[in-house]
This record gives sequence, C-alpha cells and structure tokens, in this order.
Amino acid sequence: MGLGFLIGAFGVLILAHAAFSTIQYRGLLKILEEEFSGPPVNVIVELLLALSFCMWAALTAAGKFLSVHHHSEENRIVSLPANMDFLIFNHRGKVFSPGTDMRLKH
Amino acid sequence: MAGHNESGKKKSSEAANDLQTFSAENLQNNMKVIYYSQTFLSIVGGVIAGILGFKGLAGFILYFLIMAISSVGLIAKAKFSVHSYFDCWNRIIFDGFFGGLMSFVLFWTFAYDIVHIF
Repeated sequence: MGLGFLIGAFGVLILAHAAFSTIQYRGLLKILEEEFSGPPVNVIVELLLALSFCMWAALTAAGKFLSVHHHSEENRIVSLPANMDFLIFNHRGKVFSPGTDMRLKH
Repeated sequence: MAGHNESGKKKSSEAANDLQTFSAENLQNNMKVIYYSQTFLSIVGGVIAGILGFKGLAGFILYFLIMAISSVGLIAKAKFSVHSYFDCWNRIIFDGFFGGLMSFVLFWTFAYDIVHIF
C-alpha cells in the first residue's frame, strides 16, 4: 500500500516535470518563431514513463479484490449472534436447498 | 462480533445451488476499487493529453485507449476469473468508462491551458 502510493506520487512528479519541460520548450519556440508540432522526444519518454508508473500504482494501490462467493476460502467465517435468545430461523436463507449430504466432520 | 456479518457471510451448501447469491459488501468493495483506479487514470490521462497538445478527437481516442488498458489491467488483477469477484462482465468493462470522461476533459483543458496558453 505504501509502495503503491510512492510510485503514484513519483509518476505525478515526473508528469509535472514533463509539463515544465514543455512550457520551456514552447518559450524556446516562441523565440525561434516556429510552430509547435509536438513536444520533444525526451518529454514523450517522460510521459510514457509517468503513465506506466501511474497505471501500476492505480492497479495495485487501490485495494484488493475480495471474493464474492460465500463458499470461497477467505469468506469462511460464520458468526452467530452472541445472545442466543434472538437467533431466528425464519429469514431469507430458507430458500437455499438444505444440505442433506453434509455430515459432521470430526 | 455479534451478528454484524449477517448480510454477506452465509455458508451455503456445497451442493448445486439454484440461486446465485453474492456477498454484497465484497462486491461493493470491488466496485470501489475499480472506481478509484479508473478515476485516477482518467485524471492522469487528461494531464497527458493536455501536455501533448491534443485537440479534438485525438484526445478522446487517448481516453478510450487508457480506459481499455486499465480494463485489461483490472481483469489481470482479478486473475482472469471475473466471476469470482463480480457478478457480470459489464461491471469491469462498461461501468467506469463514461464516469471518468468528465474528469478527463476537465484536466485535459486545465493542462492544455497551463502548458500551451499561459
């Protein structure tokens, strides 16, 4: 999580540096009175680098995917109410087919 | 804790279940992850489009390219088994596509103005 943020921040810094370089390049072009057709090659390389860093950061630092199935390994914990007086059975779970083949495992 | 897991964590039987049920809180968590990723990438893409000086259609093409790459990246992050993290393909491919468009255009015009006009 920390590393993802660092790489994302680094990518944004490279992006800002590329923006500054382009501004200076445009100033230079104004002096030379030429048209702006595209940023210089090193700015393009910087932009690609910044894009790859930010993409990596966006995919890893945003968070983990959690499984949505109820029967996957990470969703195994079932908790019962601590106060057994209010344990009800007349809820939506009755539409599940009863597991008649489930046995007690020792 | 007492009862706070009711909504998502019922243990269903291993036998063939006619009903598809999902852990709704996990699905929401996954949607949140996609939303954050795609929003951040559309902002970064907007700044890049502004720096490169794109005008008109080329910028939107860049936006769709970045969204397509991010969709592929998210599918890879879900280890290519989309159905164990989402309920249908649309969520990972289409839902975020147009949400990021406004942020993209905002940062595109912002960066373009800063770099090329002022």
